[in-house]
Amino acid sequence: MSVVMNSTRNSGSISNLTQSSDDYDENCLTEEGLLKKSVISPEDVLKLNRITKTYLCPPEANVYDIEFVRFKIRDLESGTVLFEIAKPPPCSNSEEGIPIFQSSTLLDSLEMETSSEESDPNAGRFVRYQFTPHFLKLKTVGATVEFTVGNHPISNFRMIERHYFKEKLLKSFDFEFGFCIPNSCNTCEHIYHFPKLSKSLVTDMINHPYETRSDSFYFVNGELIMHNKADYSYNGCLSI
Amino acid sequence: MGFQKILKKMKAKEKEMRILILGLDNAGKTTVLKHLNNEDTTTISPTLGFNIKTILYGDYKLNMWDVGGQKSLRSYWKNYFESTDGIVWVVDSVDARRLDDCCRELHFLIEEERLVGASVLILANKADLPGAASLEQIRERLELDRITTHHWKIVRVSAMTGENVVPAISWLVNDISQRIFTF
Repeated sequence: MSVVMNSTRNSGSISNLTQSSDDYDENCLTEEGLLKKSVISPEDVLKLNRITKTYLCPPEANVYDIEFVRFKIRDLESGTVLFEIAKPPPCSNSEEGIPIFQSSTLLDSLEMETSSEESDPNAGRFVRYQFTPHFLKLKTVGATVEFTVGNHPISNFRMIERHYFKEKLLKSFDFEFGFCIPNSCNTCEHIYHFPKLSKSLVTDMINHPYETRSDSFYFVNGELIMHNKADYSYNGCLSI
Repeated sequence: MGFQKILKKMKAKEKEMRILILGLDNAGKTTVLKHLNNEDTTTISPTLGFNIKTILYGDYKLNMWDVGGQKSLRSYWKNYFESTDGIVWVVDSVDARRLDDCCRELHFLIEEERLVGASVLILANKADLPGAASLEQIRERLELDRITTHHWKIVRVSAMTGENVVPAISWLVNDISQRIFTF
């Protein structure tokens, strides 16, 4: 049922797009097309075939006060924590949300787009990771996110994350958290199997820092409410 | 009927199971989960929501959901029942005072329609601590013999030391797999 409804809605944007985009493929919605929609659904972003240029929703769309407060990556082969960042609790007086940071030989540095000026609406939506080449040799990692939820229950929370190198989709990850308790703090560890990357692609990725990028989309009841971005380099210094 | 069969087959392909870890607060649910996941169990704070982990076990991918057990959170448990294949019910063997609460909450789950198909593993946790109730005492206090609608098993464990945790989970996974992956 919802599929039928979506395709009708999409066809509306197709007609708008045919003028501006020649290579439009019915199965791959463009960003421009999506931005015209009032509601962006999981099915919509699953059709994207490249990194978006802008955020597909404003920070204010997050009416549920969902906040990511910790992120951790473990190497599942060795069991070691590769790195962990956490937001300091709101009551602490540390500088405007600079992450607590634990590193290993795999991560060279990490920058979060933080801003002390409240006027920057996109503060905290972007993270830049600088890894060492060794990171691309990992087979399986566990990625833990911790997030808090505001005063209202959330009946269906879903995440879709898409990783690209240049124009190539490396990995699309889709997970349904389902229900979230009001005022709760939740954690979730996902297991990522690194896709098999050819030697030439790995070299290419090392030689082209920040052309590996990801879009993380978050939905409540099938509506986009949060969009975060990250980019990655793998040519970090090995001599840490 | 046909739909059920298709559903079974889809699950079989992915070999995924959804396992819910429940029990009163301070029973050791998160410690069980962390032990299974080879994580440090020395510092664990009360769960004020859920912890989800995907654990690879043999050919299976276990989606484990540990939901906080405080009284104020228990009314939300029902939101996690859908599509559950197995329940791990964690009991604090030392907390004799609350075994009646524990019994009542467990039997709520057993009577729950959406959990009809689920296998139930009862972990008598903290079995290594002085004052821990025996397996027989817990079996009696939790009125386990009243459970006739579900496959169930009780195992004495210590989530802190990890004793018996993995064999107990193996029973659960085997029991579920025999039920949902054979047709």
